[in-house]
Amino acid sequence: MRPSTIRYFLKEGFSGLRKNLLMTVASIIAVAACISIMSFSYCVVSNLQYMMDQMEDSIGISVFLEGDVTSEEIESLKTQISQIEHVTNVTYVSPADSLDKLKDEWGADEDIFIGLDDENNPLSHSFQIELDQIESQDAVLTALHNIEGINEDNVEYGQSVSELLVKISNVFQIAGIIVMLILGVISVMIIVNTIRISVVNRRVEINIMKYVGATDWFIRWPFIIEGIIIGLIGAIIPSLLGLPLYAKTVSLFYNYVPFVANFIRFRLTGDVFSFVLPAALLFGILLGVVGSVTSIRKHLQV
Amino acid sequence: MIRLQNVTKVYPNGSRGVEGLNLHIKKGDFVFIVGSSGSGKSTLIKLLLKELDPTSGEIIINRVKTNDLSRKQIPYLRRNLGVVFQDFRLLPNKTVYENVAFAMRVIEAPSRIIRRNVPAVLSLVGLGQKGRSYPNQLSGGEQQRTALARAIVNNPPILICDEPTGNLDPETAWGIMQLLDDINKRGTTIVMATHARDIVDAMQKRVVTLNKGHIIRDIEKGGYDDEA
Ligand SMILES: Nc1ncnc2c1ncn2[C@@H]1O[C@H](COP(=O)(O)OP(=O)(O)O)[C@@H](O)[C@H]1O
Ligand SMILES: [Mg+2]
Repeated sequence: MRPSTIRYFLKEGFSGLRKNLLMTVASIIAVAACISIMSFSYCVVSNLQYMMDQMEDSIGISVFLEGDVTSEEIESLKTQISQIEHVTNVTYVSPADSLDKLKDEWGADEDIFIGLDDENNPLSHSFQIELDQIESQDAVLTALHNIEGINEDNVEYGQSVSELLVKISNVFQIAGIIVMLILGVISVMIIVNTIRISVVNRRVEINIMKYVGATDWFIRWPFIIEGIIIGLIGAIIPSLLGLPLYAKTVSLFYNYVPFVANFIRFRLTGDVFSFVLPAALLFGILLGVVGSVTSIRKHLQV
Repeated sequence: MIRLQNVTKVYPNGSRGVEGLNLHIKKGDFVFIVGSSGSGKSTLIKLLLKELDPTSGEIIINRVKTNDLSRKQIPYLRRNLGVVFQDFRLLPNKTVYENVAFAMRVIEAPSRIIRRNVPAVLSLVGLGQKGRSYPNQLSGGEQQRTALARAIVNNPPILICDEPTGNLDPETAWGIMQLLDDINKRGTTIVMATHARDIVDAMQKRVVTLNKGHIIRDIEKGGYDDEA
């Protein structure tokens, strides 16, 4: 394609939109709404996922064994636990290890440690179990309870928070997709109408183009460009507004609820938007192209 | 250059546009298609432009059987056919220059060639000074000259005109006819549908007469009512 041809398409695309300003603005708003919802749900879901990942690293499941246990029993239990599906790692922790760890965490000089040593150690033998993902927790717990020598009293896990996060994440994911689809369809419908009006505005021109031998694609391109312009502007506006909004929200959160920062970290603005920005642009262009192509098929009999 | 073999066009509503046309137009010919209103002149023109497909029969243009052309190939057929209508069909928001350049732009001619050919063809049709005017600032004759410039700017071997003088007063019409004669003398084949008796009589060219969709007369050189 000649540069002059591309310039011509762009010029015609923009002028088509200018002559049809009201519909153009409506289309852009529809696309922007759709992309805002997409970006917002992505921010929420990806942050929840991020938090769950952090917790998965730290939480896991602990199994405490009562009384004295022989090393054979320990080996046998370890093997049985390892064989449970979704269990990625099982570590045996001896009472001595636990005591060392507590001393590390709390400081060895604390009063509570007086009189405690390897000979006189009230802590239990235990297993630290790591899972592939938080969602597997229920299944693993059930399997654990079925093992001889382990019952509900022996098992500890980070229950409520993780289940809640999974639920919130699912709700946002599903609601986000549904709202996005609805807005996407509405956007496409409005774009179809916008391009239709553009086609009608230019029917004399199209007629002449056909007589002088313009190809079908030459006639179609300016309308596809119109769709792409709508999609791009509709994507750029919410992205540019969303970026500082996200950064601001996160910093406000850290400032006003500082203790939260100790156990919850949000994803970095740069990380989130290095995905959101290109995804928004691509999705905007997609909406524009789908809308204009549909309209051309229905309304431009070249 | 153009050949019609037993061409019939019946419109979807059943009305007969043309029937059983046999016609051969040679390179460099100047042919009038005459006949009263409704005799099928425009139908014949539209068949030549492949705006309509014949119900039966064959149309051959430039050795190509246009019946067989796919949609994708039609634009390339049309680049061989300049076309002028009674109602000019200029773009009101473009200047004379832009209206003519438009025909070159849409077939992706290089800008350099556009800048060279448009002024040349504008002076050929006598509009050398009117490039910056808009159609509504021009007389009817000047508008038709602009349309003519647009039709020939890509140098098509065939020029097709449907009642090009229909909206013009006799004097202006005559100016357009001289221009068409000039273009024909430069080698362009011209097919012109008209029911302007005076013009046909004065030009003394080939005359094909249609009546109710049939060719009833085809004379090599003559007037509107001359016998074959
Ligand atoms: N689009 C159409 N649909 C149906 N009938 C048509 C159409 N165009 C032309 N006709 C019919 O075809 C015949 C020839 O018309 P036309 O070619 O326009 O004649 P002319 O140009 O000589 O006046 C007429 O009877 C007319 O009614
Ligand atoms: Mg007619």
